[in-house]
Amino acid sequence: MVIIMKTLEKLAILADGAKYDVSCASSGINRKNTGGLGNSKAYGICHTWSADGRCVALLKILLTNYCIYNCNYCVNRNQNDIPRATLTPREVADLTMQFYRRNYIEGLFLSSAIERSPNHTMEKIYQTLDILRNEYRFYGYIHVKVIPGADPQVIHKTGLLADRMSVNIEQPSEQSLKLLAPQKSLKALFAPMSLISGHIRVNQEDGKRSRSLQKFVPAGQSTQMIIGAANDTDLVILKATEALYNRFQLKRVYFSAYIPVNEGPNLPAISTAPPLLREHRLYQADWLLRFYSFKADEIVNIEHPRLETALDPKIAWALRNMQLFPIEINRAAYEELLRIPGIGVTSALRIIRQRRLASISYDHLPKMGVVIKRAKYFITCQGRYFGDVPSQASMIRNILVPPIQSFQPSLF
Amino acid sequence: MDYLYDGSFEGLLTAIYLNYYEEKALGIYPEANYQYAILTPYKVVQTDSLQAAKVYEAVENKISRETLRLIYYVYLSSHPRKENLILTYVELGFKLGAKIDGYHTHSDVFPIAATARKVSLETHRFLGLLRFSEAKGFLYAVFEPDHNILVLMAEHFSDRLAGENFIIHDRKRNLAVIYDQKEWVLTDFQVDKDFQITDSEAFYQGLWTAYFNHIAIDNRKNKKLQAHFIPQRYRHNLVEFVKSFPP
Repeated sequence: MVIIMKTLEKLAILADGAKYDVSCASSGINRKNTGGLGNSKAYGICHTWSADGRCVALLKILLTNYCIYNCNYCVNRNQNDIPRATLTPREVADLTMQFYRRNYIEGLFLSSAIERSPNHTMEKIYQTLDILRNEYRFYGYIHVKVIPGADPQVIHKTGLLADRMSVNIEQPSEQSLKLLAPQKSLKALFAPMSLISGHIRVNQEDGKRSRSLQKFVPAGQSTQMIIGAANDTDLVILKATEALYNRFQLKRVYFSAYIPVNEGPNLPAISTAPPLLREHRLYQADWLLRFYSFKADEIVNIEHPRLETALDPKIAWALRNMQLFPIEINRAAYEELLRIPGIGVTSALRIIRQRRLASISYDHLPKMGVVIKRAKYFITCQGRYFGDVPSQASMIRNILVPPIQSFQPSLF
Repeated sequence: MDYLYDGSFEGLLTAIYLNYYEEKALGIYPEANYQYAILTPYKVVQTDSLQAAKVYEAVENKISRETLRLIYYVYLSSHPRKENLILTYVELGFKLGAKIDGYHTHSDVFPIAATARKVSLETHRFLGLLRFSEAKGFLYAVFEPDHNILVLMAEHFSDRLAGENFIIHDRKRNLAVIYDQKEWVLTDFQVDKDFQITDSEAFYQGLWTAYFNHIAIDNRKNKKLQAHFIPQRYRHNLVEFVKSFPP
């Protein structure tokens, strides 16, 4: 019984330490089971949703929460008086296998606080993957956090066993990083990112010549930024995001609404609610960057450095660019269709496919997945405009964001 | 002529064959729950794998592989008129060929795509939500899907859990897939009482439940969002929602 409580307690402590990491994606790689346990599906599979509504796909856990660093925003900083625990690589591997065969999880997301030194920590992460992949023949999904400052060779051999790697840059600018994590610097964080993206590129090139080549981080690299701990505007955040996609070919940039876990002179008060709506708008903007070929400058700029909270960033952009609308559904190019609020990738492709065969009428649009409520102000269909107000920014805005009505006392 | 088939996919394809080579079908229905009417002539279809294969190949070659997938998924659905949806869709497909799926809003195409999508979404959901527990010598999972998706589950888990013995039980339809580390079979299946789980099973269920409770962030608690992803009707088969283990 003592042993049982021990594992349970450690698991609880190390899950608590890992939960502020956002990513739980299990996507981006197809791999069959060749004589062991598990496989991977490129579409990704969610296994449950926790009480905060977040998807749980991976066993997200720290190897240890003993940390030599003291980053202000972090729950695991060394000055905090919290319960600490360490799991051995074999304990983590065993948990992963047992959870996986019961179909609780899609794989492992292994991270760690920095115990003793970055290299020591990274080596233990490697040992865990070595047990899973080479001893247990585990073919499920593995995401590992790269420990900045670890030996490039250890990072490389770990990447050959992992599907995804990530380095959290935490803050979009050097100033806010200095404020919140004085022991870290952006330059030191970019080094492993650039190392990984370089290895991925070389590995993909070599893979073209040899199909049997062991893949390096085949599901790509991601990162995470904390939103609302410092004073960076959405402009700074989205410009940084765009730069990360372009420079390191990241698969994802995650945003994490800052949850005050520590008191500190440079930090928001502990009672501050996490900026969830802002985080949501940033994700919408991120989608525009990745799937709708928007540039960060179009979504936010010097005149509009913050995303509107009342409107999604695509409508906000459209209302600033009304000279482009309304757009005719039957003639617009794919890229133009994607710019219309209420039309997404799927509905745009359906429109393109169907209009080759027959002209599209307004009644068809809901069946194609177009959100009429938003789209109707920005389109014409067979030459006709269907909005209930003229296609003018101020009038559309009044309908989509009704002005707050002042209380009118009734006669009785 | 109404064609009555035995409920199998081959039987359904045979009925479509007869629609072309014998007599035009008014409708196709499963024999088991057919409402006999005085004035409607009917015929019980003898499932013929050669005739079924001809339709199968014709759909694949003259329409598309995607159409084949769509009609199979609709066949697995619990849509009350699925056979007739498939019939009219295939008839249109033989006229239009591969471009049929470009007519997304056509009244014979839209319900097919929409129904197949429901089946595919439910399958995807259960790839994650199915829970196995360890009994003596095998893993056992039970669920009650809206659509008859056992075969699709079997294809997924027979690769993923290739080295295990497992049973996936559809309690709603009294069917199960049984896999023995080599191949799976679909069979009628009922259990009177729950299987005896192993000692380590209780241990891992406790660990998983504790993990599940700790991974949520209190400041972001959002039960409505959670319920959106996991409706109540799924929860009685999910160990993390049933067990109340000390956190």
